[in-house]
Amino acid sequence: MNKLIQNEMMKLVAKKRLLVIALIIGVLVILFTYAQYKQVQTQREKLGTSDWRTILQQQIVDTTNRLSSSRISDEWKKQLQISLQQQQYYLDHDINPAEPGAPTFMRIFLENSIDLFIPLMVMVIASDLVSSEHSLGTVKLLLTRPVKRWKVLLSKYITLCLAVSLIIAIAGFLSYAISGVVFGYKGWGAPILTGFNVTDEGLNTSQVKLLSLWKFLLMDFGLVWFVAIVVGTLSFMLSVLIRSTAAGMGVMLAALISGAILNNMISSWESAKYFFMVNLRLTDYMKGTAPPIEGMTLAFSMLVLLVWWLAALCVSFIVFTKKDVY
Amino acid sequence: MSKNVIRFITILAVFFCLLWAAGLGWAVKEYYAGKPDQAPQRTKVVTKTENQKGLTIVALGDSLTRGTGDETGKGYVGDLVDEIKQKTKRPVQLTNLGINGQRSDQLKKQVQQMEVQRQLEKADVILLTIGGNDLFRGGQGLIDFQSGDIAAIEKKYLNNLKFIFQQIRKHNDHANVFFIGLYNPFSEMDQGKEMSKVIRHWNYDSAEVSAAFPKIVFVPTFDLFELKVNDYLYSDKFHPNTKGYRLIAERVASLLTW
Amino acid sequence: MEKNITLSVKNLRKVIGRKEIIKGLTFDLREGEVFGFLGPNGAGKTTTIRMLVGLIKPTSGSIHICGYNLEENFQAALKNLGCIVENPELYPFLSGYHNLLHFARMLDGVGDERIKEVTELVGLTERIHDKVKTYSLGMRQRLGIAQALLGNPKVLILDEPTNGLDPAGIREMREFIRFLAEHEGLSVLVSSHLLSEIQLLCDRVAIIAKGTIIRTDTVLRLLSNREKMVWRLEPYETGKQILQALTKIEEKDDGTIWTEYNKEKIPEWNKQLVDSGVSVLEMNRKMPVLEDLFLELTGGETIE
Repeated sequence: MNKLIQNEMMKLVAKKRLLVIALIIGVLVILFTYAQYKQVQTQREKLGTSDWRTILQQQIVDTTNRLSSSRISDEWKKQLQISLQQQQYYLDHDINPAEPGAPTFMRIFLENSIDLFIPLMVMVIASDLVSSEHSLGTVKLLLTRPVKRWKVLLSKYITLCLAVSLIIAIAGFLSYAISGVVFGYKGWGAPILTGFNVTDEGLNTSQVKLLSLWKFLLMDFGLVWFVAIVVGTLSFMLSVLIRSTAAGMGVMLAALISGAILNNMISSWESAKYFFMVNLRLTDYMKGTAPPIEGMTLAFSMLVLLVWWLAALCVSFIVFTKKDVY
Repeated sequence: MSKNVIRFITILAVFFCLLWAAGLGWAVKEYYAGKPDQAPQRTKVVTKTENQKGLTIVALGDSLTRGTGDETGKGYVGDLVDEIKQKTKRPVQLTNLGINGQRSDQLKKQVQQMEVQRQLEKADVILLTIGGNDLFRGGQGLIDFQSGDIAAIEKKYLNNLKFIFQQIRKHNDHANVFFIGLYNPFSEMDQGKEMSKVIRHWNYDSAEVSAAFPKIVFVPTFDLFELKVNDYLYSDKFHPNTKGYRLIAERVASLLTW
Repeated sequence: MEKNITLSVKNLRKVIGRKEIIKGLTFDLREGEVFGFLGPNGAGKTTTIRMLVGLIKPTSGSIHICGYNLEENFQAALKNLGCIVENPELYPFLSGYHNLLHFARMLDGVGDERIKEVTELVGLTERIHDKVKTYSLGMRQRLGIAQALLGNPKVLILDEPTNGLDPAGIREMREFIRFLAEHEGLSVLVSSHLLSEIQLLCDRVAIIAKGTIIRTDTVLRLLSNREKMVWRLEPYETGKQILQALTKIEEKDDGTIWTEYNKEKIPEWNKQLVDSGVSVLEMNRKMPVLEDLFLELTGGETIE
């Protein structure tokens, strides 16, 4: 098994896919860093201060004013109310919700890339892992060795998990290293609040916990990793089922994008919550924003994802071991 | 591409795999089993006067402070700040805390907020519009302006106003406070005359309360809108339009000293 | 049987959907022989080979490699098998050495030394650290063989091994395969749709068409039954009449007459011709090429 994994790692490294991914992430992080920097600057210009409390107070008042408008939908109103309550809570407890610095940038970057960007990067590797052997024709050599087929597939799957871990590490490292140039590298110990509970009445703050940012980040990373593994497994399954890498990618891409769209408009379609793609924003539960569909919790989302993961894994292994190779 | 490179990458990957898995486990554990440890409530106002050289303006109140009805979105506060910026080289910092539809009892709560108090403390100039929503109930007009209801509303309002002024002075004894009075948006309507009477009375009482505090200036606007009121009103016939706000801003600007 | 059977196929069938692609194949491979698998495209050669190497599951029938049943004892059976199915598709982004390393890791007890050995055997030592995408087709073919030989297999299965090679390459490949069979004692199964190639390369041949084996025999025996005698006679008509009276004849467009080859009777026929004043310009014993044989076996009658 060890040797098989070494093989897969060798191919992965030789294909230089990880380098390409690192490059894409790097470029995007530079872009986001600049955007963030610009945003901070214009905010400072507009309010004439860099004092976060003043800015936050201003944001609270702005949100309150938006709430008073009769034109916004109930759903949006509720989300605004929750974020308003949260902002007020931060202000009341004298905690900066976005302590400037690379670690905070990293957190924001992770939270925003969990449902589309990271899965996309994972997809680049996962959807190619099995189908590329088909398109190269090397699958015929791979499967005529005295090694059981499930072992071959398992070695590929383990490699996928390792690659996913690496991609997330790369994303973390790059977002820290690049944004630090602008925002500074400090801020690991900044306090952050978690445990907000969104209920029908609004925001429940009785369970709120104070955490150091580095702890919070580690949890965020864990959740992003989990999502990436699930998405990776699904693309992996498609890679087994569909011989063309491009077709597999297309299907997965469509699913992910539809998830991002659905998230914004499915609050009334309750059974949509069993789709994997609306359950990807796990970090939102940590942050305490309203879920897209009422009744969704961290455990629920994780369970849904786990079921999808397990199904994808079973399908992959059954099909791969049974399938005739032409 | 040597074997060692691949081995190194593999080991690195395994390490991160375990690390992220641990993070995931921790996240779930913390989310469900972690004890809430209440973050300490902020007790004292942090007094950090960072903008000592600049001029800090804090605007409190209702939709007039917000600038509702002004197509440029500035409102009289924005106009005023623009004017100040032209006249002085000092950096100007504006904090606009106005909330649409705010009544005096809501403002009373707002000024008790820790951060609002801190903002007030820093202020060099405080602008205030309040009372319109108490009296006009959000633009619906006076439902029953002749009954004793108005007296009760006004009494409550005056008490709130007094409290608000006390709070402001408690936290800031040096800033000039400009309290903008009410105008009559309904003067050209059927019962405009009766309404004007009520508003004059209301303004008089408000001015009286203001006078009881040092450096609180009641700024009348009733006269500004008395003639040709519709030229200065927004299409909702309640809020001022760009021109109307301009009038208010000019009046306040003429009173500013520094 | 003086030589061991290394690959034994019994009653192999494959049904895809409702169509029976392979209809019961039975054949054996012996140690040190090159066995040809001959048939037109679509006859079921590739499907059969894919079943032999475990890529496709047979519907019924059994495959034994060195005594191990492929289905029940997959690993032990495949340990004794080396193969190239269709083109030797290797990882183009890896070097030749890394490709070999990759496949060596999938075999127990195959180390660097064996990699070096097979590299030398196929003569790729100089280029082995270059990326495969820079290789010519012949080099890729050789690397493919090296890969197949890594695990010291007893049976080597090569699907169309000379496909796409230039004449020199074909010759080289042929010699190499014969060398492997004669000196290393391997059983080699070669499939091809090129009959001349099989004729030159194989000891025995199975002719397959539409999913069944029409005939299995040694190349020599298959051919000797069908040896012909070619006559060129002057005057043509008289000679034809004489031969017609003696045996069955075939008239050819180029003015020759073909009869069967019969050692005993040929001198006698010749004598009669000469006695009747017919001059025999040419008397030629002709070994038929497999093309003729194949047409004779499949084209003449419909198989079903």
